[in-house]
Amino acid sequence: MKLYIGGVYQGQEERAREENPGGEFYPDFHETIRRAVLEEKQDAREFAKEFCEKHPHAIVIANEVGAGVVPMAREDRAFREAVGRALCVIAQQAESVTRCVCGIGVRIK
Amino acid sequence: MIMLVTGGSGCGKSTWAEKLVSSLPRENRIYIATMQVYDDESVQRVARHRAQRADKGFTTIECEKNLAAADIPEGSIVLLEDLVNLMANEMFDGGDVERIIPALHELAKKCRHLVMVTNDVFSDGISYAESTREYLRQMAKINAGAAEIADCVVEVVYSIPVCVKGALPCV
Repeated sequence: MKLYIGGVYQGQEERAREENPGGEFYPDFHETIRRAVLEEKQDAREFAKEFCEKHPHAIVIANEVGAGVVPMAREDRAFREAVGRALCVIAQQAESVTRCVCGIGVRIK
Repeated sequence: MIMLVTGGSGCGKSTWAEKLVSSLPRENRIYIATMQVYDDESVQRVARHRAQRADKGFTTIECEKNLAAADIPEGSIVLLEDLVNLMANEMFDGGDVERIIPALHELAKKCRHLVMVTNDVFSDGISYAESTREYLRQMAKINAGAAEIADCVVEVVYSIPVCVKGALPCV
């Protein structure tokens, strides 16, 4: 399992696809987390643990969403929190974590 | 050692900061809690943090404002969580933002080890009203002031520590 993250449009998806030809990609994973946690009411960590078990070779691609002013809407706060909790689990499981800034990948794990 | 730990919401910075303190001597551990508890969300947050550090031997000191007045014994190992709450309480609850940095300097002098936790609230690309912009400016100043006195600054990115200043301690 590998994790590629970054702010919006920082090139994480392009880099992930370039570095892992033929990989099992999960782009926009922050939206997958939103559906699982906010709509299906799953626990963020449990959802992520289960995902890791089911997809040990996944290439997960997600936006970093937590680094802003605390949102006014409860649902927006819950979304940021859920993405954080779930991606912490995935980052721990991943063999590598790459963070993209301006299209450049920085390997942080 | 003086440390500053930053990161976005839910990135695991508290967990990492607590792990760091757990690798230091166990005696005289103090947790300075700054959050005002006012709704069920903050009650839950406090409960989660309390459970997380339950077996780590911390004495908790509540300090919503005026850090200089907190009674911290000389030689303590302090985890201060967090600067954003402290700042918001000073700014929006009749305190004084200007006293935060001097209080951090005093605290740093007194402590054997000080770990300060803050929050990256600067990267959502939204243009806010002037009052929020002023809050962000002040918060950025406090983070920069804290980073200046820190031997090491770490950004936690989804549980992974990324060193911004100094050398990353082993945890």
